[in-house]
Order: sequence, then C-alpha cells, then structure tokens
Amino acid sequence: MSTAEENGVKETVKRFILSSIAIADLDDDDNLFESAIVNSLFAVQLMTFIEKTFAIEVEMDDLDIENFKSLNATTAFVMRKNGRAGD
Amino acid sequence: MQHLLTDQQRAKHTDFKNFVTLNVEPFAEQWDREQRIPDHVISMLAKSGYLGSSLPPDYGGQGWDIVTFGLLNEALGKGSSSLTGVLTVQSMVSMALLKWGTEEQKARWLPPLAKGEIIGAFALTEPGAGSAIQALTTEFTQSSIDDSLILNGKKQWITCGQHAGIFLVFGKLGQRSIACLVPAATSGLEVEAIHGLMGFRAAGLAKLTFKNVKVRSANLVGKPGFALSHVAPVGLQYGRISTACSGLGLLRGCFEESIAYAAVRKIAEKNVGEFGMIRSLIARMGTDLEAGSFLCHNACRSEDDHVPEAFEKTLTAKYFTSRAAVRAASDAVQIRGASGCHESSAVSRYYRDAKIMEIIEGTTQIHEEILGKIFVGQAGRSGT
Repeated sequence: MSTAEENGVKETVKRFILSSIAIADLDDDDNLFESAIVNSLFAVQLMTFIEKTFAIEVEMDDLDIENFKSLNATTAFVMRKNGRAGD
Repeated sequence: MQHLLTDQQRAKHTDFKNFVTLNVEPFAEQWDREQRIPDHVISMLAKSGYLGSSLPPDYGGQGWDIVTFGLLNEALGKGSSSLTGVLTVQSMVSMALLKWGTEEQKARWLPPLAKGEIIGAFALTEPGAGSAIQALTTEFTQSSIDDSLILNGKKQWITCGQHAGIFLVFGKLGQRSIACLVPAATSGLEVEAIHGLMGFRAAGLAKLTFKNVKVRSANLVGKPGFALSHVAPVGLQYGRISTACSGLGLLRGCFEESIAYAAVRKIAEKNVGEFGMIRSLIARMGTDLEAGSFLCHNACRSEDDHVPEAFEKTLTAKYFTSRAAVRAASDAVQIRGASGCHESSAVSRYYRDAKIMEIIEGTTQIHEEILGKIFVGQAGRSGT
C-alpha cells in the first residue's frame, strides 16, 4: 500500500469534511454518524464528493456504514475501490 | 441567461417551448377543471422522449444533461404545473433506481420508465409524515413463509399515483428504513384518487393503502437502513430540480401574461403598464425571473458537474423560485383584476398552483431550516 497516496486521500477527505460541518478538528477514527455532528445532507454530499474527487462510483453493495463512519473508514474505502489497498 | 446555454441546449429549449405552445397551453385550463390529464397527453410526453430525458441511452433514455432537463421542466411549468408533475416523479423514481437499483432491477424497470411505457410514483409521504420523513409508519415485515416481504401502511398526496404502474415505496423494516418497488397491480394495494385540491388539480394525486401486500425481497432498492439517508435524497434532488424549474416556468408565465396585458389594457387613455404601481409589480416579477433563471441554471450545472454543492444550490433554487412564483402569481392576478380571477385565465390557475410549489419536495420552512443551518455553519467554519 502506498502510504503517501493513502495520506493524500485522507487529507483530501478531511479537508472536505471540515469545510462541510462545523467542527474544529477531526481525529482519524471519530465516528461521524454517531456524534450527531453532521447535517441531514452530509451523507449524500460526502458520497458525491468522493465519487467526483476519486473517480469512483459508490454502488448499492457499498452501502455499509462501516465504509463511511470515520475518516479512516472512508479512506480505506476509497483505496479499496481504486484497487489500491494492499498494493 | 441564454448566453450560458450551449447551442444544443438552446435548440432543445426551443423545441420544448414549441411543444408546450402546441400541446399544453391550449388545454391546461381544461385539465385543471377536469382534474385529470388525459392518457394521450402522457403518451405524447413519452413519444417525445421527455419521460426518460436524463436516463442513459443504454436504458432507452435520452441521456440529456441536467441543464436540458431543467429547461424541459421550465418550459412545461409555464404550460401546466400538473403535467410537469409527471416528469417530476418519473425522474425521482428513475434516477433513484439508476443510482441504487440492482442490475436486475435496472434491466427490468428502467427501459419502460425511459420510454414512458410505465409511470413511476415516489411513495414517501404519509398522512402523519410529510416533511418529517423519519416519522414513517409504513411497515415491511419478513414473511414467515418465504423470503418475501409483507407491506402494510398508508401513503398520501402521491403525485401521479393515479397513473403509476410502479411505486417506489419507503417504510421501515424493524428500525431500518427501506425502499421497495411495488407494482401497482399487486394484490392488496388500493389506489384512491384525491380530488378537490386547490392547485396541481390534474397531477393525479392518490392515496395508497397497503394491506398485507406481498413484495419480492428482490424489489428492495438499496440496502436496509439507507433508504432515507441515500435512496430518498437522490430522488428528492431530482424532484427539487424539477420543481424549482417548474416554478420558474410558472413565474415566466405570470411575467409574460402581465406584460402583455399591461401593454394593451387601457384605463381611461392610458395603458395599465403606464402606471407606476403596475410597473413596480412587473419590475419585481421580471427581476425575480432573471434571478431564478440563474439559480436554476447554477443548480442544474452543479448536478451535471456532480459536485456536493449541488444539493444546497438546488435547495436554494427551489426555495427562491417557489416563493417568487407565489408573489408573481398574486401580482399577475392583481394586474389583470377581475378577469384574472376567472377559471378561464391562466393566471388564476398559476395563483393556485404556485402555492403548491412552496409545499412539495420540502416546504419553504424546511428549506429555511436546512439552508439557514448551512449558511450559519459556513460563517462558523470561516471563523467570522
């Protein structure tokens, strides 16, 4: 796995999340959906962002909260969809 | 705003407006009075490819961009809000299915939806759950006999429910939200026409009652737990784009009716349009029309660009045009005076239809709540 690439994905997703919701900082494993910090549009906005930014498509089989619950989870999901996990 | 369109988009817009002039405007009052759009009119929409405008050609759709879809809704919205409602719900069901359907579901349902051989309806609202969709009580349970689901519950104010051959029904499976395709011909599903509406009188609204309706579990769209967070928002996004642009069309209708009347109607020796008070009403209408055009275009472009901001830009456009349409319709009736109060006048229908725009696909107050939160949040994030 390319750590630099993974870190790049994580940083990009983090910047989007911090620009979308009113929090000062976000730890890698903070649970986005349990902490009630997201608004009702955030789930689809996050999905749209990662589809657009990383040229992937979130499909029906990907609908699993484990894929999006945190910064680390979302990063791992993007890496898997791009066939980068375990490189 | 025309300068922002491509040559192809401009040409399509002209086609759409010609279709409306010929096939919609002369009959819209009659449909409104009869509270029904004739089947042959929906067939005309289908033959023109309008019911599958945004679906990919692979499924028999036109593959038009969302800006073109918006122009179609704007053109039809000027002619008949009720007729535009068919487009609204067809796109809501089709696009939710395109995004979250299984390959089997897409192969089975998208081609007939694209060709308009079947009409889809978005069965979300319930007697006790409108804007508060988390309060859904429609219940799916697992059959004890096989792997099918048993559906019980009621849906209300379902646009095109009278015409639909397939419903995308939202409910709960235990504590999880689910969305499921339910053919209209399914045993135990009763469809009751709703008459006597103030506006959208011909939009074919219906009340649905599900009594032990058996549905294949293969008809589930998306996974359990994601119907309200992911499936419904995709449909509602297209519903709001359609409604925003339809509201813009209604606003254009009010504007064009008003300037035409103001130019010829005389009071003593002066045209109505020579009075400052009338000019004020028309100035506001024309400015709202221009602003609404940009907001709708911006929302459609954002959706074409597939950017996260598309959701709030669409909320903004729908919020603006629906409220502006209500103001414009009220002023258009005022300008016309008594003749604007008669059922033979388009502005009379506009006045009644406009109010509905502020309620469907999220009320004005829900939009204010969401947009206010977004805007205040932006200030907080920028540290101002």
